[in-house]
Amino acid sequence: MGTINSAMSVITGALDADQEALSVVANNVANAGAPGYTEEEPDWQENTPITMGGIQMGDGVTETGATSQRDRVLEERLDQQQQMASSSSTRLTALNNVQALFTPDSGSSGATAGDIGSDITNFFDSFSSLESDPTDNALREQVLSAASTLAGDISDAANSLNAQSTALSQDATGIATQVNSLTSAIAQLNLEIQSTSPDADAGTLEDQRQQDLSQLSQLIGINQVTTENNGLSITTTSGQLLVSEGENFQLTTGTVNGTTDFFLGGTDITSQLNSGGGQLGGYLTARDVDIAQVLSSLDQLAYSVSTNVNAQNNTGIDLNGATGTAANPLYIFNEPTQVAGSAAAMSVVMTDPGQIAAASAGNEAGDNSNAVAMAGLANQAIIEGQTPSNYFSNFVSTLGSTVNEVQTENTAQNASVTQLQSENNALSSVNLNDEAAAMSTLETSYQAASQVFTLLNTIMASALNLGEETAVS
Amino acid sequence: MQGRVAGYRNLKLKSLAAEASQALAQLDAERLEELALSCEALHRKLALTNADRETRRAMAEQARDAAADMAILGRVLEATRANLGVMNRLREMRMERLEYTVRAPNAAPESSAMNGDGDGNH
Repeated sequence: MGTINSAMSVITGALDADQEALSVVANNVANAGAPGYTEEEPDWQENTPITMGGIQMGDGVTETGATSQRDRVLEERLDQQQQMASSSSTRLTALNNVQALFTPDSGSSGATAGDIGSDITNFFDSFSSLESDPTDNALREQVLSAASTLAGDISDAANSLNAQSTALSQDATGIATQVNSLTSAIAQLNLEIQSTSPDADAGTLEDQRQQDLSQLSQLIGINQVTTENNGLSITTTSGQLLVSEGENFQLTTGTVNGTTDFFLGGTDITSQLNSGGGQLGGYLTARDVDIAQVLSSLDQLAYSVSTNVNAQNNTGIDLNGATGTAANPLYIFNEPTQVAGSAAAMSVVMTDPGQIAAASAGNEAGDNSNAVAMAGLANQAIIEGQTPSNYFSNFVSTLGSTVNEVQTENTAQNASVTQLQSENNALSSVNLNDEAAAMSTLETSYQAASQVFTLLNTIMASALNLGEETAVS
Repeated sequence: MQGRVAGYRNLKLKSLAAEASQALAQLDAERLEELALSCEALHRKLALTNADRETRRAMAEQARDAAADMAILGRVLEATRANLGVMNRLREMRMERLEYTVRAPNAAPESSAMNGDGDGNH
């Protein structure tokens, strides 16, 4: 309940906030375009006093020569939205693949990551079964079998995640190649435009450059800076130079700690790229944030289960009356030395079921008290303050929430792109009356939607409060 | 009363929010105005209703279900506000540019050009 109210509060805050503050993005884009425009068209700046004097001349005007500059600003806004939408689409696809990995198996006997939850239960339940007859070899075999299934599914999941990560690296490398090709083409176009049309619209050359910029925006998050003589510089969203008028700077790749990183001018910019937008940003966010987090959680699960189960077994006495020693510990799982990599390396090292130490030290081999203790690990908070089952369940739930959040973000971003494209189409080839009508539609839609949002929010708040009162009374 | 209560249990706040997002994305102003009117009517009715325990629970459940769709609507609204800002700025730039385009050939008598005589629309 609190979460919903908080979420609503954030949204309502956004809606009620000051118009100027909320238009920062919009104004930044428009302002970013304005200086370049002034430089290209100094006469336009000279004419400013006519407008500042409050005089408007609407009658009899035509559209002669008025489209190019406006389109550049609009295209830049479109490009920015496209970068965000491409990034979240790419990330969403990758996240859906990760989530599919953890979807419970529909009943076939194949080992899958989705079965890890039931594997954990089955493994600890096998100790509960052993409690009834600690000397029964079949029950001991069942423990090792359940351990093997659990370790196999965790290990398979980690390997699949690593494979997905590698595939994302390859996709990202392919994107970098395309980026280099486009920045090279844009630099060449800059030279041509600067030499042929330093003070005017460059026509098809400019169209071509805009087309390349649109494609580039699908691939990577960029900022555009208009320079003298109709030139253009492009940086990544974090400010690294990709194109400086006629010169372009190539993205290169290299392996750092087993991962493909991206460099510009010798500097590793991978972490800046992964939050920068475009497909490249999406691939790198999925690889370095989403999959990394899932792998880390899985490693933690494997590490904690392995070390705790091994430690407990090692304190007991096996079927032959032996206890674990430093040289020959009674370990069921491969004992991990660190958390990182534990999931991929998880396996069962015990081959003799007789080595399961069901009895506690000091007792006979038929004693079951250590088996009881091992079964009890299922209900102990051995992983970051949670039981193994709860930890796994929360981890899957967090993954699902992340997918939903990215889905929501993507829906909103695509909607914004749709709007801009729709407005762009309306504005690009019509007269002033049509343009005014298009603007009116945009404004009316916004106002009506704001009203719908406000009313729905009020209704929801009332409904939640009423529900709370019901629960209390 | 029974029918009214059943109606409230089927508010479909989630559907309303989702449809509003869709309509806003497509700039369907007409549909959005219809939705706004529907929401207003719904709001008035709910304000007058003395709902029973079960209906209250159902309404709260509806509200919880609609949270994600409301979040989307909120984000599309924010994006629309930004887009609207850009469009307004573009229109201003365009108008200024058009004014200059028309005035430039007549730039000789400076005072009259600056005052824009004969064009009206002051």
